[in-house]
Amino acid sequence: MQTVRIFGLLVTILSLLSSCTEVRAWERGYLAKDEMAWESDSLESALNDHIFFSKEASSGGNSAAGGGCGCN
Amino acid sequence: MTIKQQLQAFFSLILVTFSANSLAVEEGDSVPDFDLPSIHQDHPAIAMAALEGKTVLVDFWASWCAPCLSSLPLYNDLYHKYKDQGLEIVAINVDNPIEDGLDFLLDTPLDFLIPADPDGDAAELFEVYGMPTSYLIDPNGTVKLVHMGFRNGDIEIIEEAIVSTLAGN
Repeated sequence: MQTVRIFGLLVTILSLLSSCTEVRAWERGYLAKDEMAWESDSLESALNDHIFFSKEASSGGNSAAGGGCGCN
Repeated sequence: MTIKQQLQAFFSLILVTFSANSLAVEEGDSVPDFDLPSIHQDHPAIAMAALEGKTVLVDFWASWCAPCLSSLPLYNDLYHKYKDQGLEIVAINVDNPIEDGLDFLLDTPLDFLIPADPDGDAAELFEVYGMPTSYLIDPNGTVKLVHMGFRNGDIEIIEEAIVSTLAGN
């Protein structure tokens, strides 16, 4: 019975891993496209930042530095 | 086989699966052979085998990679400075679509070889880990230098390696 449980656990882990993929260095251009941004509408993004700053008296920290090329 | 051994085998398999970067081209390795079309439709295809006997700087770049774009005009200067001594530069563009790379070249014309690798076939061969990455190849086809990224002062490191390789060291 224990072997069946272990086997079931391995199958579950493997099925979860099947959805994982690595974005290779030369494919990172896809991540730089506008449609890959968390907020694709820059005006709405600026408005949300302004509201956040007004309420929290702080800003920033909502994006990552660099162009996603893994070089700096 | 005990359960503990089964688990050890399973996690070893996962570690091996995710350690593909160990296959990356390193200094001292032979350069992988590639044969790619030029990014310019009216230019001939570019094969590594055809460059045997030359000192070759192979560079991977893309229009979305800011450090790549700052390095290319400097490579163009190096090309003009050392081409008479046997230097060839092959700047492999990995843009997909390639029109993104061509747009950059309209504003910044470059005189060395620029193959197009939109599917990343050559990048896969070299197991490129970051952009840009450049490989200096000696006339025997051995990788003398692998350089990832491009920061202030890096061009001096690359030029020094080129001069040394051209001198036969």
